Amino acid sequence: MDRETLEVDVLIVGGGPAGMAAALRLAQLQQAAGGEPLAIAVLEKAREAGAHVLSGAVLDPSALADLVPDYASRGAPLAAPVADDRVYYLTGRRQLRFPFVPPPLRNHGHYVVSLNALVRWLAEQVEAAGVDLFTGFAGQDVLMDGSRVVGVRTGDRGVARDGSRKAAYEPGVDILAKVTIFADGVRGHLTKQVLSRVPALQDGREPQQFAIGIKELWELPAGRLAPGSVIHTLGYPLRHEEFGGGFIYGLPDNQVSLGLVCGLDYRDPRFDPHMAFNRFKQHPLVAGILEGGTLVRYGAKALPEGGWNTIPRHYLDGALLAGDAAGFLNSMRLKGIHLAMRTGMIAAEAAFEAVAAGDTSAAGLARYQEKIDRSQVRAELFPVRNVHQAFGHGLLAGLVFSGLTVLTGGRWFEDLRGHAGHARMKTLAWYYGRRSGAAVASNATPIDRRTTFDRVTGVHYAGTAHDEDQPVHLLVQTDVCRSACGPEYGHPCTRFCPAHVYEIRPGPDGRPSLQINASNCVHCKTCDIMDPYQAITWVAPEGGGGPQYTGM
Amino acid sequence: MKIAVCIKQVPTREWQPRLTDDRTWIREQDASYEMNEPDAYALEEALRLREKHGGDVVVCAAGPARVQTVLREALARGADRAIHVEGEALGAADAAVVADALAAAMEGEGFDLVLTGLQSDDQGHGQTGVTLATRLGMPHSTIIMEVQVQDGRVRLKRELEGGWFQWVSMPLPALLTIQSGINQLRYATLKGIMAAKKKEIRRVAAPAAVPTQRIVALSVPEKAKQTQMIAGAPAEAAAELVRRLREEARAL
Amino acid sequence: MILVIAEQRGGALNRASWEAIAAAQQLAGDLPVSVAVLGSGVDALAGELAAADVAEVIAVDDPLLSGYTPDAVAMAIEGLVAARTPGTVVLPHTYQTRDCAPLIAARLRRPLVTDVTAIKGTGASATFVRQMFQGKLTAEVAPIGDAPVFVTVQVGAFRADAVRRGSGAPVSRVSVAIDAGRIRQTTEAPFQEAAQAVDLGQADRIVAVGRGIKAQEHVALAASLATAMRAELAASRPICDNGWLPMDRQVGSSGQTVAPKLYVALGISGAIQHVVGMKAARTIVAINKDADAPIFEVADYGIVGDLFEIVPALIAALET
Repeated sequence: MDRETLEVDVLIVGGGPAGMAAALRLAQLQQAAGGEPLAIAVLEKAREAGAHVLSGAVLDPSALADLVPDYASRGAPLAAPVADDRVYYLTGRRQLRFPFVPPPLRNHGHYVVSLNALVRWLAEQVEAAGVDLFTGFAGQDVLMDGSRVVGVRTGDRGVARDGSRKAAYEPGVDILAKVTIFADGVRGHLTKQVLSRVPALQDGREPQQFAIGIKELWELPAGRLAPGSVIHTLGYPLRHEEFGGGFIYGLPDNQVSLGLVCGLDYRDPRFDPHMAFNRFKQHPLVAGILEGGTLVRYGAKALPEGGWNTIPRHYLDGALLAGDAAGFLNSMRLKGIHLAMRTGMIAAEAAFEAVAAGDTSAAGLARYQEKIDRSQVRAELFPVRNVHQAFGHGLLAGLVFSGLTVLTGGRWFEDLRGHAGHARMKTLAWYYGRRSGAAVASNATPIDRRTTFDRVTGVHYAGTAHDEDQPVHLLVQTDVCRSACGPEYGHPCTRFCPAHVYEIRPGPDGRPSLQINASNCVHCKTCDIMDPYQAITWVAPEGGGGPQYTGM
Repeated sequence: MKIAVCIKQVPTREWQPRLTDDRTWIREQDASYEMNEPDAYALEEALRLREKHGGDVVVCAAGPARVQTVLREALARGADRAIHVEGEALGAADAAVVADALAAAMEGEGFDLVLTGLQSDDQGHGQTGVTLATRLGMPHSTIIMEVQVQDGRVRLKRELEGGWFQWVSMPLPALLTIQSGINQLRYATLKGIMAAKKKEIRRVAAPAAVPTQRIVALSVPEKAKQTQMIAGAPAEAAAELVRRLREEARAL
Repeated sequence: MILVIAEQRGGALNRASWEAIAAAQQLAGDLPVSVAVLGSGVDALAGELAAADVAEVIAVDDPLLSGYTPDAVAMAIEGLVAARTPGTVVLPHTYQTRDCAPLIAARLRRPLVTDVTAIKGTGASATFVRQMFQGKLTAEVAPIGDAPVFVTVQVGAFRADAVRRGSGAPVSRVSVAIDAGRIRQTTEAPFQEAAQAVDLGQADRIVAVGRGIKAQEHVALAASLATAMRAELAASRPICDNGWLPMDRQVGSSGQTVAPKLYVALGISGAIQHVVGMKAARTIVAINKDADAPIFEVADYGIVGDLFEIVPALIAALET
């Protein structure tokens, strides 16, 4: 096949906060050094910069301030300074306000932001600095020469659902780079390829722990929640055995962000995060805030919360890992944007020095690790590396004292170590015994189509769009689904997917069969993470497809 | 042949409308934008005509600074250069104002052929193309499904209602409004995107606007009608439904 | 005075012309309405139009108007406007109007409000309702500028049978100067072509099926109803995903957006992705066994029941 190649000095995969910060830092270093300009390229699968990122979001501006010291005068979209921090413990009908806000959750000096807006703004800075920003292009395969990453192949475009080539077929391009920085986000599909092809990167590391965050943006009657109000909740609708918590952030223009984070290590195979989110919205505290408002946007995204001990070695021959892709997120502070940006910036510095020195091997790039070890990243993450383990038994008292509000829940130390979250899911028989009943959500709650909605409606508000005539981008081992996962777990994919991608319908032979509504996908990666048999692999759909998050 | 393509930047199809406080326009800062769909087909048609007959393709857009995104996209797909008529108020302007603004910038260029989409997915007046033709003193034809250029003339397949078509011919220079689906859109390529950065975008200030209409109020349409439930055995309910569709709704 | 430009092709009046007269009568209030018909040999059509309750029917007869060209029609209407000085000119929003009305308004530098679905107020102070953003928003717009204001009305938005009938309006002939040398377009005879793709957007009536149809072999039942209603057959997404109907029959956010006069939803629950594609339909019928299905929220007529019983009954009822 006649496949084009494009050669650059540094390729950055993923245009989120980590990738954009890396690109901008590289451009700054280049400018300061002078000489022949570096060829820097950023690949982003969203049609538009910032359309696939999703976060709460409360921003710790420390990394931004180092990257763009004059960010305020350049119009960085920091929606509202945090004015008020509150933490509640929820029971089914009531809420108890914590008498004080645990230190890790104090947000003085931080900002409530729309991450979409922030990344869009970063993209403008990046483009103005002369970086090639390729939006609407998905990386599909990591190109390797032995153990060395040499670049990324972008996905073919114009392929029909049956695999045949449509009239506009355009083969993917091989982008070859001296250094590739993988910043493809939580459970990045290319980082996943790297980790599986270079298993040594995970030697001595704990498996990553994930959670899923489901979030909505609402417009409320005037004066309901002041901009900059930050509310965190724990307890209901999650049980002690499920770990996570809720958030409600006040934005300007009578908008509010709210969401629920659920650990992707729950035991109940019939647990349903989306139902839990609906229950969260039905709680009097939340329902009172939403009353009379309208839904504006919906979205979902997984987040890596395993912390320091789960982060793989993040440098290898020809490549670096940054941001959520590597797991740089402080789940105790519920913050990852500043770490994503910070690790992106440090990766840029390491890549710049390695390219300049002409050694982009693992040895040449090892300075990335050294720089991180001397940086705020380690200072922030290392002391809390054992958070999960230490507070596994603690339940409420432990939570209050530690300030670990949304983090640990009833988690048993023994269970955690060495086990990925999906492995904690129990079979229907184990969990329910003979009473397992129908494989429907154990926390089902009726929807009213005013405050609570079904998943399909959510998908609409995510703005998700994919070309319908393309191969299904969720590779499912359907034999496992039918013969094992269905009977044993009752098709949990139909519950953990927040976008109604997975649906069990009577097949042609009358038996239940899996239907994949791939074009609903909001790219949250939960299915790739949580399937008990790991029978689902998320690959990138045609570039440009996916959710269209704005203001989120 | 020197071909101009006028493109508009409009909110995406997935965009959920939000209104300004005075409810006379949308909150532009909340919208995400894309190239107006029929305009994308017009651009593709222009690129194909250039491949066949040679010449240049110049993309023109009127609007605030943000419209440079669609101009860059058009340059990445292969247009040779761009003209941006810049004006903060042009995003919300009516068709006559937009046509005047484009005409002022395009007048001296001596285009042989000007293509636009048949209408925009935002205000949808369906006037900009024809009004621009009038300002540029060109003949026009609308809702075009096929373009043939020969000996200083164009022959066009124009869509009429109900599956009817008609061939229309006129001398160049001429303006055509293009129907969606006339061709197969190409993808922008990485090399195209890189090349686009080196192409010229000529920026022109917008002339003074002479609006011809004003939006008094915008609202989200709400279904005012009540659902009439028809009960009864299937045969009765069916007969009653047919009666009401014939007599009340006159839909049959 | 309100002037309506009736549209004819091949000696037959377009029904949308009567709708434009109905709109003009509403807009006029106390003002007189005149109707003009342009073409070659249009006396009979003028006589037909005289049945409406209008002050005058004007026949503009010229051989240069025998086949449509935008330049000739623009010159004729400009002459007519000069002769009669209307306050508003109303046209049906047809493909022909879309081709010529902006030309006339641009030449005269007068406001043109297109694709109007409703009129608020009367005469010079009237405002006009039209859709924007592909039907996501409804706009009320006021023209700015000198008379005449040009207004085109959406086909189907006003009712032809609402035209007030009179006792025979006087018919007069107006001759206008059309300079053959200024007609730049030449036209060939119109021809019909089998549609390559189904254009549901053009359909008057649509029968759409959803999951309630249960199996591919039952799609034929819906097709029979479509035939009986002279409707196009369409579907919600799951039906097309299953390959029971081709993709080009899909209505909704990932398919086509339609606005027929009648939309019959069979076994469609009414997911928002489907509703955004069909809620602009004038009359919506929902047949679903689930009384709580959201489709009933947008329906004008609803029947809760088994579509396998109701659809055959409907086909039978349509035959009577």
